[in-house]
Amino acid sequence: MKPLITLENLTVGYGRKAVLEGVKAKILEGDAIGLLGANGSGKTTLLKSIAGILPPSEGKIRFEGTKRPVIGYVPQRESLDQSFLLSNLEVVEMGLCGRVPPGRFLGRAERTAAMQALERTGAADLAHKRFAEISGGQKQRVLIARALAADPDLLLLDEPTAGVDAPAVKAITELLQLWNTPGMTIVMVNHDLPVVRAVARTVWWVREGTVEQGTAAEMLSRERIEHLPVE
Amino acid sequence: MEALREIFDPQFLLRNSVYISLLLGFVCPLVGVYLVIRRLIFMGVALPQVSSCGIAFAFTLHARGLIPHLEENSEHGLALVGATVFTIGTLLVLAFFERQQRGMAEGRIGTAYALAGAWSILLLLTNPYGEHGLLERLQGKIISVADLDLFLTALLFFLLVVCLSLFKKEFLLVSYDREMALTLGKNVTFWDGLLFAIIGLTISLAVFSVGPSVTFGFLILPPLIARLFARTMKQLSMAASVIGGFSALGGFWIAYSYDLPVGPTDIALLGAIYAVAFGIRKASSLLSQSA
Repeated sequence: MKPLITLENLTVGYGRKAVLEGVKAKILEGDAIGLLGANGSGKTTLLKSIAGILPPSEGKIRFEGTKRPVIGYVPQRESLDQSFLLSNLEVVEMGLCGRVPPGRFLGRAERTAAMQALERTGAADLAHKRFAEISGGQKQRVLIARALAADPDLLLLDEPTAGVDAPAVKAITELLQLWNTPGMTIVMVNHDLPVVRAVARTVWWVREGTVEQGTAAEMLSRERIEHLPVE
Repeated sequence: MEALREIFDPQFLLRNSVYISLLLGFVCPLVGVYLVIRRLIFMGVALPQVSSCGIAFAFTLHARGLIPHLEENSEHGLALVGATVFTIGTLLVLAFFERQQRGMAEGRIGTAYALAGAWSILLLLTNPYGEHGLLERLQGKIISVADLDLFLTALLFFLLVVCLSLFKKEFLLVSYDREMALTLGKNVTFWDGLLFAIIGLTISLAVFSVGPSVTFGFLILPPLIARLFARTMKQLSMAASVIGGFSALGGFWIAYSYDLPVGPTDIALLGAIYAVAFGIRKASSLLSQSA
């Protein structure tokens, strides 16, 4: 697998406070990476930095191809304001705003692409319901559909199974396994070890401002898990 | 009905004031929708006050000879520049501190409101222009409007509405999910800045015509009423604009019939519509629960 993105001595944080310092890592094309670590260790910070939301204060994020890969980002669903009067289809259509230049309205092609993305996540029947009125698991499917709508090379997910019921966790896990192909790299923050075991081939442990990397088998071995510091 | 016929008579002395009221009624809620959905309602209180302070400041500079003598129409332009510079400047400063996530946002907005209100009065009372209708204007007494003022206001409002429509998807994206917008490679600072500029210019135009408190009413009340029934963002914008426009007309009609000041009458009417709409909404939800 060739590298898609290289993190070169990345230092990132909020204001003057660095959360992660000197992170060196490569995201390989087609890999599925599980980002693990204690609360507040900097997993989401790292994910946001890769997504381009949080610019690094030092170091850089190098895209290895000729152009920046298309990134699909699935945020923690609590971060979205529930008071907006948006249908699920409209939420998914937002994922296509990068394709349509300013001043042009979203048309039939975008609506079709959004519907297809909802179908891929098994949420087509929710298209015309209000986003604020559906369950947590359904919201997660809609947000994943939004990220998929742009046909991303890299799918970044921030705790996609947090607070959803067991059938929804199973469904999301199966979908992630299905989509992880050479054409779609996945980086996922998750506290749910069974989901990480099922999806990830590589694990990054984020601890004390740095990142430790290895294969999922190594990093999630019984010995290693037992020796993790308790939060 | 006689009063309504008089209002729309082409010879009616205050016909331009009617048209200005209607324009404000239809356009302010379209901008106000963004203040409501982005939870910036306090900003909607403070900015018209800041805008009126900008007008007072511009006229003070003029009165003290710091700006050369201007024709009457140019003076209006000066007022608009003062209002716009103060409004957009304050918006940018507040947005900057908001982005820094330090201190209390409500405290900053409250301080801006209090200071702008106090300075508006102080500057106007010590300025001879305050005696020529400006103070009344800023108190919400819609008075005669020159043809050129009406034309320019209509033109600017038209351009602002075109911008709001053309860039609706960008404004909605950065308002709803800033992080997603960044991930998609959108220049969030630019789109936020453009939206704030549109908000600032609309408020400046409105404050110059009807004063800060009436502007606040037209910005916030129609979207809040529309929100009780709207199911989509499109319905919210359209309904808010229609409610604002018809309230402006109704308010003018009532004010003219009973010899009341137009601005406060408009807002009282909007308040009554809000109360009725809220009652209908509550009753219908109680009925659907019991069914």
